[in-house]
Amino acid sequence: MKIEWKKITIRDLAAVISDVLRKNGIEVTLVGGACVSIYAKNKYISYDLDFITKSSLKELVPILGELGFKRKDGRLFENPECKFLIDFPAPPIAIGNEPVLEFKSLRTKRGIIILLTPADCVKDRLAAYFFWGDRQALEQAVLVTRSNRVNLTKIRKWAEKEGGIEKFKIFQKKLVAKA
Amino acid sequence: MLEALLGNATIEKILFFLETYGQGYPKGISRTFNISVNGIQQQFRRLENGGIVVSFLEGKTRLYKFNPRYPFLKELRAMLARAMEFLSKKEMAQYYRKRTRPRKPGKPL
Repeated sequence: MKIEWKKITIRDLAAVISDVLRKNGIEVTLVGGACVSIYAKNKYISYDLDFITKSSLKELVPILGELGFKRKDGRLFENPECKFLIDFPAPPIAIGNEPVLEFKSLRTKRGIIILLTPADCVKDRLAAYFFWGDRQALEQAVLVTRSNRVNLTKIRKWAEKEGGIEKFKIFQKKLVAKA
Repeated sequence: MLEALLGNATIEKILFFLETYGQGYPKGISRTFNISVNGIQQQFRRLENGGIVVSFLEGKTRLYKFNPRYPFLKELRAMLARAMEFLSKKEMAQYYRKRTRPRKPGKPL
């Protein structure tokens, strides 16, 4: 399948990258804003794809190089034809103080994407809001919650443990407010 | 003290600095310890790539802090605090007891 880098969507790119790396024996998990874009049906567009892998970056360089992505700085890869940057933040995958052990597998026409579940995606965004007061992250948590089935009781319990209950209440108010 | 574990003495100094002051920028840390700015920047890149610190632009200065989302932060900071108990009084006074409370402009430091 020919890839048009200029027009590719974030979901297709995530699938292409996941697929090519998996075929080379490298497992990756998509986290961060790209999960928001996918779960919120592009109501929010991220331009970064953050993948977590236990493989070394040296292993990734030749494989991504074949797709035109060159290592730019640190853990970032860039293809001048493509508007999205690919980043490989250091493992482990954690939200707050908790490790993330369960993921969602999303089948697309370009391949399978392993990514955070919608509930963990909401927690990930809320963690950014709790720690840094990032209002964009709060809006993203609202978008994902509105577009997916997530257990808010569990998220509330998690927020209590993370010391973010007051900010969780603000999140709840935003959820019921008019879009 | 933790050099063997952390890889080098510069990174230990940076982490002790952040543990003490909560934040820092390469030039300031470089002046404190009389280490090259490049050396500090290189170690900050390493720490940032590892998710241990995050950076923000404040004006034209890149300011570094511990990443509150680093899952082992509590344990790391506990270890740093414990290791710092072994610093000499001289080192403590020289590097880790700088004035951090406000000071009006014009008043002598």
